[in-house]
Amino acid sequence: MSAHYLARKLAQAFVTIVAILILNFLMFRMMPGSPDRVIKNPNLTPEVIAATRARWGLDKPLLPDQLIAYVKATVSGDLGYSIFYRGQPVTEVLGASIGPTILLVGLAEVLAIVGGLAIGAYAGWRRGGKTDSIGTGASLILYSMPYFVIGMPLIIVFAAGLGWFPTSGMTTPGMSDQPLLTQAWDLGSHLVLPLIAVTLGLLGGYSILMRSSIIDTRAEDYITTARAKGLKDGYVLRHHAFPNALLPMVTLIAINLGYVIAGAITAEIVFNWPGLGTLTIHALNARDYPVLQGIFLLVAVSVVIANLIADIVYGFLDPRVRT
Amino acid sequence: MTPTTAPPAAVTPARRGSRAGGRARDFAGRFLSRNDGRLGLLILVVFGLLAAFPDVFVGKLETATTATGQSLQPPGGGYLFGTDELGRDVLNMTVHGARISMTIGLMATLITVLLGAVVGIVAGYVGGKTDTVLMRISDFFLVLPTIVLAIILAPVILDIVGADAELFGIRATMIVIVVVIGLTSWATTARVIRSQVLSIKMRMFVDRARVVGSGPGRIMRRHVLPNVINLIVAQAVLTFAVAVFTETTLAFIGLGDPFAPSWGEILNSAQGAGAPGLGAWWYIAPPAICVVLVVLAFTLVGNALDDILNPRSGARR
Repeated sequence: MSAHYLARKLAQAFVTIVAILILNFLMFRMMPGSPDRVIKNPNLTPEVIAATRARWGLDKPLLPDQLIAYVKATVSGDLGYSIFYRGQPVTEVLGASIGPTILLVGLAEVLAIVGGLAIGAYAGWRRGGKTDSIGTGASLILYSMPYFVIGMPLIIVFAAGLGWFPTSGMTTPGMSDQPLLTQAWDLGSHLVLPLIAVTLGLLGGYSILMRSSIIDTRAEDYITTARAKGLKDGYVLRHHAFPNALLPMVTLIAINLGYVIAGAITAEIVFNWPGLGTLTIHALNARDYPVLQGIFLLVAVSVVIANLIADIVYGFLDPRVRT
Repeated sequence: MTPTTAPPAAVTPARRGSRAGGRARDFAGRFLSRNDGRLGLLILVVFGLLAAFPDVFVGKLETATTATGQSLQPPGGGYLFGTDELGRDVLNMTVHGARISMTIGLMATLITVLLGAVVGIVAGYVGGKTDTVLMRISDFFLVLPTIVLAIILAPVILDIVGADAELFGIRATMIVIVVVIGLTSWATTARVIRSQVLSIKMRMFVDRARVVGSGPGRIMRRHVLPNVINLIVAQAVLTFAVAVFTETTLAFIGLGDPFAPSWGEILNSAQGAGAPGLGAWWYIAPPAICVVLVVLAFTLVGNALDDILNPRSGARR
């Protein structure tokens, strides 16, 4: 991979993150309840107002002084203070919720990638066959379902109806003094349903994309060559078609990350899973803007970094783009 | 004379008419010969009728004051789909939800496609620095997690204009949802249109128009636009699926308008009433199945149109 390719991708990611910061800053100024409003009090003398404005840096121009101050604070990890969780720094509030979301989304991504790629590859290879019609039909239906629409029937059948799994939360209260194995079992049983919901939500999209990727690959000359050499059909699929069809998937999976997190937010609400999604709802209902801004910043920057990693991985895997 | 140099203007009006008619018939034939296209169209016609005449099918939208049923009554006893926690008929709400969900979807699609088409055509045709800047901006919106941005933008805008404000008799909540979906999802359309414009720009009739002195604005309107209109239609149908999906998600999260219950809004109140844990499946299944059917139908029709109309996608799917 050339240094030029890497430098260009790094520069693009950097510019995007700066743009996200500026967007976040501008939204922050637009929204109601700015300190300026609070000090529009007829009982205050002009001197007090001026002093307060100076105290909060509001006497300086919006651009660039206030923007620079905002970027400086953000980069140093100061995202402000939560309104709902009184006075707690936003970074602490986010930190407490990020673990459960990573656990849920991370596991679901792994399961959905393995399952979706397998189904999609097989369906595309045997295009028009029985696996293709059933697999692709099911994938299209899953693809049309918001994650919470998948989650709600799961609760009705397996939690409320059959009682196999708990309906909500991540742990049973009062579990902390139990042996570690019992705690892990408890966590696992809470995890099953949300995990199935997010995995199924992801699976359909991945399978559809993989199918069209393998159909594109199937028409390539090297596949014909491999067949002409007399290689077995399954061998050609696994060793010639699959690795090449995987390439575009790297980028697509990274671009998808933003949607995955957004979808996981709705799944978390249904299962009352204590991650970023549940936090988003609490923050939304309380109009806790500092926390909402923190969530947006966190998700947006993660997506940009995921895309950067995908570009770099792609550059390693495919010599054609290393220019 | 090769087909590419044949001047389209040389075709006599009569011949052009018959050719267009033949093309339309050919297109309809190809579309209806596909199972996915037929199924999608059938679903859309059914929901289109429900959305157009909800009062004919189930009467006026029931509210908390006009509701007649018990709280969370299972299906039966005059309530085909049971009742919600306020005693409202779920069937009544679901049918009215069709109109609300699809109206929001339609408006959001119009904004998305209008923005996307203008950006795509200008970027592709003008090229150079304009193209680079516009594509950088679209990259930014492609990478940005749309729904997460919408979750932040919607309450900010609502707090500024006020949730009860009205514009042309439409409540602000609805407009905000529409605008937020439009602003955050035009980038895909812009990309697709741009790549098509890039190849159209190289064709002879564009050069010819430039030689006779047509300005860029006129060429884009009169020569480029007619050649990408097919693609715009296919994109619009696919965008409709995304818009309904996004609206459902946003309403479910609590950004919808309780006075105009879309399917996402009904699911939001079902979640709020604890319907999943209570096993009240009749409250959840109708709106949920409707969302899935409509998103699926638009995706099927959109894919079929895209296969037939988009020269790039060819026989891929």
